[in-house]
Amino acid sequence: MSFDEVFDVIVIGAGHAGCEAASAAARLGAQTGLITLNLDLIGQMSCNPAIGGIAKGHLVREIDALGGIMGRVIDRTGIQFRLLNRSRGPAVQSPRAQADRMRYRAEMRRTLEATSNLHLRQGKVVDFVLDHGKLAGVVLEDGRRFGSQAVVVATGTFLNGLIHTGRRTYSGGRAGEPAAIELSEALKRLGFPVGRLKTGTPPRLDGRTIDWSAFEPQPGDQIPVPFSFATDSLEQKQINCYIGYTTEQVHDTIRANIAESPLYSGKIKGVGPRYCPSIEDKVVKFSDKSRHQLFLEPEGHDTNEVYLNGFSTSLPAEMQQDLVRMIPGLEETRIIRPGYAIEYDFVDPRELGPDLQTARVPGLFHAGQINGTTGYEEAACQGLLAGINAALYTQRRESLRLRREESYIGVLVEDLIKQGVDEPYRIFTSRAEYRLALRYDNADERLERYGRELGLVGDSDWNRFNARQERLAELRTALDNVRLRRADAQHAAVSGLVGSDLGDSISLSQLAKRPKVTADLIASLLPADLKPVAETDLNSVLADSLYAGYLDTQRAAVAKLYQHDTLKIPRQTAFRSIAGLSNEIVERLDRAQPLTFGEARRLPGLTPGALSTLLAYLSAEQKSF
Amino acid sequence: MSTIVALSTPRGRGALAVIRLSGPDAIAIARRMGLHEVEDRRAALTSLVRPRDNEKLDQALVTCFHAPHSLTGEDVVEISCHGSPAVIRNVVDTTLELGADLAGPGEFTLRALSNGKINLAQAEAIRDLIAAQTDAAVKQASRQLSGELSNALAPLKERLVEVIVVLESALEFVEDDLPAFRAQEIEKELVDVSAGVEKLACTYAAGRLLQEGIQIAIAGRPNVGKSSLFNSLVERERAIVTDIPGTTRDTLSEAIDLEGIPVIFTDTAGVRETTDGIETLGIERTRRAIGDSDLILVVLDGSTELGPSDHDLLNQTAHTRRLVVRNKSDLPEFNASTSCIAELQPINVSARTGEGLATLRSAILSRLNNNGIDEGSLLITNARHYDLLCNAQRELVEARAALRVKHSEEVVLAPLHNALRFMGQITGETTTEDILSEIFATFCIGK
Repeated sequence: MSFDEVFDVIVIGAGHAGCEAASAAARLGAQTGLITLNLDLIGQMSCNPAIGGIAKGHLVREIDALGGIMGRVIDRTGIQFRLLNRSRGPAVQSPRAQADRMRYRAEMRRTLEATSNLHLRQGKVVDFVLDHGKLAGVVLEDGRRFGSQAVVVATGTFLNGLIHTGRRTYSGGRAGEPAAIELSEALKRLGFPVGRLKTGTPPRLDGRTIDWSAFEPQPGDQIPVPFSFATDSLEQKQINCYIGYTTEQVHDTIRANIAESPLYSGKIKGVGPRYCPSIEDKVVKFSDKSRHQLFLEPEGHDTNEVYLNGFSTSLPAEMQQDLVRMIPGLEETRIIRPGYAIEYDFVDPRELGPDLQTARVPGLFHAGQINGTTGYEEAACQGLLAGINAALYTQRRESLRLRREESYIGVLVEDLIKQGVDEPYRIFTSRAEYRLALRYDNADERLERYGRELGLVGDSDWNRFNARQERLAELRTALDNVRLRRADAQHAAVSGLVGSDLGDSISLSQLAKRPKVTADLIASLLPADLKPVAETDLNSVLADSLYAGYLDTQRAAVAKLYQHDTLKIPRQTAFRSIAGLSNEIVERLDRAQPLTFGEARRLPGLTPGALSTLLAYLSAEQKSF
Repeated sequence: MSTIVALSTPRGRGALAVIRLSGPDAIAIARRMGLHEVEDRRAALTSLVRPRDNEKLDQALVTCFHAPHSLTGEDVVEISCHGSPAVIRNVVDTTLELGADLAGPGEFTLRALSNGKINLAQAEAIRDLIAAQTDAAVKQASRQLSGELSNALAPLKERLVEVIVVLESALEFVEDDLPAFRAQEIEKELVDVSAGVEKLACTYAAGRLLQEGIQIAIAGRPNVGKSSLFNSLVERERAIVTDIPGTTRDTLSEAIDLEGIPVIFTDTAGVRETTDGIETLGIERTRRAIGDSDLILVVLDGSTELGPSDHDLLNQTAHTRRLVVRNKSDLPEFNASTSCIAELQPINVSARTGEGLATLRSAILSRLNNNGIDEGSLLITNARHYDLLCNAQRELVEARAALRVKHSEEVVLAPLHNALRFMGQITGETTTEDILSEIFATFCIGK
């Protein structure tokens, strides 16, 4: 086969999944071609200019621990950092940042261009080249042919994208950009089951026409928490966001014109995310709410564009303009870009293995929205995993698989490949059974060694990681061994604070579990030779001890309940032949092809009766072997 | 694996009877009895013979079900013969001669379960039904078969899910404009849910009695008429009755149906100092029977003064569940006003004439009803369900403790999710997806 250029790995699409994939593959030594429709839009944030949030921030920390790039790029370009859930426990705190959209793009491109083995190419992939069923390369619209053993498809909403505003519908991957129609056809020709999803985005406003005094400022944190374990300080000047509300007038107008919305006129067939509803959905489904919260998010230092978060809509552009002006403070406001809804193709992620490679075509990997997910962070972590595994595949090395007990990435991948999606999949902390163990601050402890073993974590990061682990170990020992005794000067004061006598002697780790005892107090009781203690170090150690008991109980409960989870289901099991299973259950099992009882147990719709039938069958089968 | 045989239709004379064979030799046995046609699921008219003497037994329809597509998952042969008791006996006896074993109670069910033909929940209910000794126990088993336990638990689980939804939303959607929840209201919900779970779990004490039968020991010094009373209560001449003290050397049990409740009466050897080795052994068993019983009938001889052995026994049983019975009310010497035990509210009976037995039975029943055995309410009869409910209850208590000391939501949620998992083993699992759906239906989430 003749090719214009030959790479080891080709990545299609340079969004958040594609950038991570290409960067990882190249740094693992694979000659990597990153093909995108428009080189000027690498790392574009199609929707809101923000990274992180509850559970999403965890993902970015995990990406960083594995040696990915998203955390470093947002740290260099973030213009407002907030640690969410500060009032709650450490397991559910998570960093979030507003990005300067243009600087984020520029920084991402700079990062990729500084990566050796990584080759940017502009073009539109229209087909795959196969050799004896295995992937061999891709064909571009302009006729160029690129060879590679592995391809990562990370096409986002571009895959057969269809944009809706009001009654107008046109093909596109993002506003003003063409869709990838041929590639979707190529995937269908290969036999992949393709479905349709929907998402939407709100209008962007001209900041010069906003009466900012009508909104409540939302400042960033005084001491920002960065995403990357490697970041010591932030570069960008920090800004405020602003909070406002819709009015009944807005709601009434939307309801009166609901037929104008393609969501309600029946034009949109794809399923949208329930946790990211359009303003139309909000006022129809929650009609008793008199107002809905809005966030005004400036898009960067070098632009007047403002993102109207909370107002995603596909109503006609002129109506969007009228509605925006009904919002107090936006009476004079002009829309720069109208909001819109977009439908796009996704491929059933149950086609994938835990390495994100398709079972159908060896060498073909899928990452991001093509797998039915939503969100930059969800996309990026899949891109990282797919890029790593694509490189490992071409190098004949063992693939990287992450378990759900150790990472949110593992939770996400397992949910996708085992259960599939029927709406855009977003990560939540409640998806992780072991939420208390998966903290943003211990992502390094959980995953850094994988990054190091692969070769993605460099020496300086590895040294920093080990130094921190040593400091944590030292702190743990100190908290267990240093005791507050009755003779100590602070004993009476601390007893008074806690509200009960502390006894003759109590270790600092025990003391830390008492209500009202803060990290600051514990820090003040530590011996002088350990000081100053980094706040983040102390918090990590205290979090370990706070949750230890609950995690033990939970592990015991889960072990007791799910003791049969490891029971294997033979690959060729004919579920239809198991008497007592309804047709519906048989279909679910056939679709999901669970390999263990535990996988079957987690499938939606499996009744306890069906599970005990399956269990009895498997137990009997196992006995007969 | 043996081949088992049993009559599958009700005993007694009927037009037809179905005899079922299951196991590896089922088809071979049928062949030796004259079956030629062994095709799967095809009924074949067969002249059944007894190979021992070539005696013709019956003209029958015989159907083979080849493994695994059969009731038990094994080779099964169904013989539809004429329903006369003699024919049935001859056919069954012949299969036994040819190597089949008579099926034990529930053995077909057990084989079906181990071959994956029915599920555990069904098997548990079927087992309870088979094991049920009385109407009340049958009612409880069939209530559980029809899912009444799940129904009782479902509203509690729903309320637990609601609490979880509120707490999860507060954690996950901190940037959304959600109404603040009140810890006191959450606490109150959890108190209600755990009270409901505890109440269900507590019915196991009574449910277990209903399933396994209530043990009632009849105790007293020798020759007070324990065995006579035993015979009267079980309405059979089961124990040997003589005038010789110490006739009963061993404990003797008999189960009866006391107005729907299974009761197992145990006649015991009279307790006295003795040098007789066998009698000593019997007395040791008596002590054990008394220890194991749910209720003790302490029998006194109302025609004589109380002796030291009587007083010993009354003292020993003072802190147990007991009823004091004064026997021999038919004798002229019976002194109904023995004042020293009046406070024990003894029940006067005559085992010989039956006088006072109705009073004794109703006294026993009222004691049992105090136990919570009431046909009107649902009882937990399954040890696994009891265990799951206790575990759920423990987790709910843990969650309340975490809530009280104002722990953050994720800490309160950890035991709540555990409790939900335990309850889910009875009523069906609640997935993360279910909880998320509930959140999105309850709150307007999302920027």
